[in-house]
Amino acid sequence: MRSMPHARSLFKVSVLSLAMLQALPALAAGDDLDALSLESAPAEAAAGVASAASTSQIFVEGALGNATQRFQSGSREVNRASFDLTHSARLAPGLRAVVSNRLDYLHPADPGTDAAVNSLREAYVSWQPEGGNTVVELGRINLRFGPAYGYNPTDFFRDGALRTLTTVNPFALRENRLGTVMLRGQHLWSGAALSVAYSPKITEAPNPNAKVDGWSLDLGATNNRDRALIALSTQLSQNVNSQVLLYKEPSRSATVGANVTALLSDGAVAHAEWSRGSEPDLLSRALGAPGPAVKRNRFAGGVTYTTLSKLSMTAEYQYTGFAVGRSEWQALSAAPLAQLGYLRESLRLLELAPRQAYLLYVTQKSLGLKNLDLTAFLRINADDQSRLAWAELRHHWPSFDLTLQAQQYFGKPSTEFGLSPQRRVVQVLGTYYF
Amino acid sequence: MKFIASAVIYVVFAVVGLGAAVAAPTAEDILAASDTIRNPGRPFSVTVTLTEFQAGKQVDTSTLGSYSREQPDGQFASLIRFVLPARDAGKLMLKNGNDLWFYDPVAKSSVRLSPQQRLLGQASNGDVATVNFAKDYRVKLLGQEVVQNGEKLQRNAHKLAMTAVAPDATYASIEMWVDAENNRPIKARFFAESTRLLKTAYYRRYELALGLERPTETVIIDGVNPKSVTLMRLSDYKAINIPDAWLQRDYLPRFQPE
Repeated sequence: MRSMPHARSLFKVSVLSLAMLQALPALAAGDDLDALSLESAPAEAAAGVASAASTSQIFVEGALGNATQRFQSGSREVNRASFDLTHSARLAPGLRAVVSNRLDYLHPADPGTDAAVNSLREAYVSWQPEGGNTVVELGRINLRFGPAYGYNPTDFFRDGALRTLTTVNPFALRENRLGTVMLRGQHLWSGAALSVAYSPKITEAPNPNAKVDGWSLDLGATNNRDRALIALSTQLSQNVNSQVLLYKEPSRSATVGANVTALLSDGAVAHAEWSRGSEPDLLSRALGAPGPAVKRNRFAGGVTYTTLSKLSMTAEYQYTGFAVGRSEWQALSAAPLAQLGYLRESLRLLELAPRQAYLLYVTQKSLGLKNLDLTAFLRINADDQSRLAWAELRHHWPSFDLTLQAQQYFGKPSTEFGLSPQRRVVQVLGTYYF
Repeated sequence: MKFIASAVIYVVFAVVGLGAAVAAPTAEDILAASDTIRNPGRPFSVTVTLTEFQAGKQVDTSTLGSYSREQPDGQFASLIRFVLPARDAGKLMLKNGNDLWFYDPVAKSSVRLSPQQRLLGQASNGDVATVNFAKDYRVKLLGQEVVQNGEKLQRNAHKLAMTAVAPDATYASIEMWVDAENNRPIKARFFAESTRLLKTAYYRRYELALGLERPTETVIIDGVNPKSVTLMRLSDYKAINIPDAWLQRDYLPRFQPE
């Protein structure tokens, strides 16, 4: 009998414990309670997001900087103001107009060049019949191919497209480039797409006064010959995408190209692109006396790995058979002007100057502060071991970015980066987004 | 006397509990019903407003347009269009299984992302909204629990334990509480492979959208730092046509919200 109360107590304690355990999810969530008291921000501009008839991206940017000179004593200022606009408007069902323009004011301007340089990057109409699987576009279009970070052998419309050089970051370089006037069609299937583009010759050659006349459309830079391109994109599997391309210019045999991206693991993506074509080598073109066409390869391939701590790292190998080799470059060192001309031409064509190069590209989001990002890269000329290092710290506010950029050229005299007239550039940039 | 009354109550609870267990639907049924409430069964667009808090203080907001469509494998493919902040306006992200791309309309560049790269951005919170858990996870019913819902009310809930079976599932395991009365998702806890808690989500503010009462706000609490909270508000649901051919890299330069 005396054991009964004890048994009863045990029974009650057990049931109470069970009840408490059941109640635990509700009781243990002090932080959850705080979170549940929070209210969303008003759905600013949310209405109509899904049905916007027109979209715009506008920003202004100012840069104040200083460049240390290699061949002269002292340093010089590098200042810039930029206005960047991209606007897309629906003209009728299925018909849209797109304009993308950038105006840079450079101070001080290079001797003999206009301080204000306008780049009409894109101006085209796009017609997408009902169903949306076919599109036809006409106008100046920035048609870009290739997944590589620093060198794109399958980006066939890149040469001559860079009107102003405001950064050496290969990603940002793309933001300034001019489109090519073309007629373009694309058809999409489930997991595949076929694109065809025809770009006519509008003028014989790039406008020699394009730098003097900052408002020139510079159509000759991109449309100085007839060009055609066919590209077939295929999703081979959930993890692998590919593109096969065929590019043709008059008086040259067709250039073939292919690129592929592959997901290697949860954190790793690989990319590769290759093209093979027949054209004069880069040195003879730079010297203004194009030699006979030779058949060569171009290649870029790399891997990007991202950690859970928001660090993303890319390593890329780059190759072109059209560039000068190590011994030819050394032979050229007797003629520094020829070397400079060669480097200028490779930049104009967005072509690799050495035969082989490496790129390391790193981004770290939320570096110590939530809205502080670090981006840095190192370009290495594998032939002469010269290097270009670039780093940027960018802090975001809701509509404003403040950025500190630094770049440094390393290399012996007569190497690719050792020939740069600038040794070091440091800039502060402010960007306001409307 | 007191003892007898208590015993009667316990017996009644036990019998009711047993009855409920006999009549209870399977874990798979509960999860599928809960998925149907979160995800419209037809292609749709929705405006997503994300408000981020640190220690109760609002530190960030962003707005996205999400365009989703259920694929033949039962999982959702989405095109995410960034609207705000202005810096990111017009940028796009495509998620079609493991085929992940980020597109910048100014640079005209499409960059393939790894699942880990995608998790760095706010768009990953879309996972909490548009995922058919029943397709990617094996589910077990752990029992009934009284749990606090997003409106701070006590609700009787089914507690489900999910383990990833699909190789591309974002989370290794999930615990989910589903309202026993109407299969509405109440709360979920998302875990990494290491059993580390990644985030806790409360589904709340049920409103009529595309034919069903659906949660229009999700409270997402960071698993490591519970003072870091994101509110995900869903508004302006619309049924729209999204052909399968649009859900690929080559469509991104042409995507225009209609």
